[in-house]
Amino acid sequence: MKRSWPAVYAYIRASGRRSDEAMDLTQAFICDVFLARRLLEKADQARGRFRTLLIGAVRNYLADVHRRANATTRMPKGGISAIDDYKAKGFDVTGDESVGSSPERAFNARYVAEIIRVASERLQRELESAGDGVSWELFRLRVLHAAFQGDATGYDQIAPRLGIDKGTCAARLLTAKRRFANILMEELRATMIDPNDLRDEVADLMALLNNR
Amino acid sequence: MHNETPAPENDESATRAAQSLSDTLRWAFELDESPAIAGATFLTREIIPCARDPFDAITDGAATTRQLEDLKNAYKMLRTTSATAPERSLAARLYAATIAAALVRHGELITRQSATALTRAFEELGADEEMPERIRDLATLGIDALRKLG
Repeated sequence: MKRSWPAVYAYIRASGRRSDEAMDLTQAFICDVFLARRLLEKADQARGRFRTLLIGAVRNYLADVHRRANATTRMPKGGISAIDDYKAKGFDVTGDESVGSSPERAFNARYVAEIIRVASERLQRELESAGDGVSWELFRLRVLHAAFQGDATGYDQIAPRLGIDKGTCAARLLTAKRRFANILMEELRATMIDPNDLRDEVADLMALLNNR
Repeated sequence: MHNETPAPENDESATRAAQSLSDTLRWAFELDESPAIAGATFLTREIIPCARDPFDAITDGAATTRQLEDLKNAYKMLRTTSATAPERSLAARLYAATIAAALVRHGELITRQSATALTRAFEELGADEEMPERIRDLATLGIDALRKLG
């Protein structure tokens, strides 16, 4: 579940930690919770979704870190803000909705971005191994660039470069996009503890993302 | 050719990527609900972004010959690559309709198919009760235009 680590980092970072602190805490979370407490084994035994379980585990872990720091009054260099301070800054470490980039929203954005990355790489491998680099190029320029760079290259530029007409470009992109949608669903399904939760998970993610 | 998969660099790009996933999933579910028209609508909007659906794009007099030719090529490929029979069938009808539209609206023949094959395709299009009336009317006008071409 290495692919969840950027989401864990995003959550910790959005909870008010500096970049270096967030990195350390992410690594500590992976060692203490993922590995030592065998989160994945617990996930297999529990009902619910892995994303929900993970976000709860990070939240609890940060609360533990905070409690330990307060109990021993050993604050790290640079300090860890009190939870009240986070709330005053508009952050939320308790799970309530908040304005701006809350830890949950940061987590979800990174979580799905990572799924997109993994799915994109799978699509690229599949298309290129089938000798269809053209469809991958179309998908990269028309879909991924729009998603990650905010602009999609126009067909007037793409079609002459690829040596196919605009209509054929669009049709090949449709095929690639459909395959991508299938891969995305497979990747999401792989994160499901109970496969029957897939539709609910997709609906939840869409609702979460649309409320940004 | 730069071939790397772009990755989110910051919160803003992660947000855009997240929106993309949301759009893609919604789109995937829409395909589940109306598979035949969803693919053709996607193709149509890739070529004429403001089009509401394939039928509007084809019957809209503002579509240029070039756009109709692009639509024709897109539907032609969909007709052969689609995994579902209803979508292949719709793509074949739309393919014929683009040819009829170019002929009727611009007096241009955008295919090398024979007049006999075209007449048969237009007749089938005109008789298909699942097609909107304006598309069926276009097919009838296409048959007339073919006759005039000789």
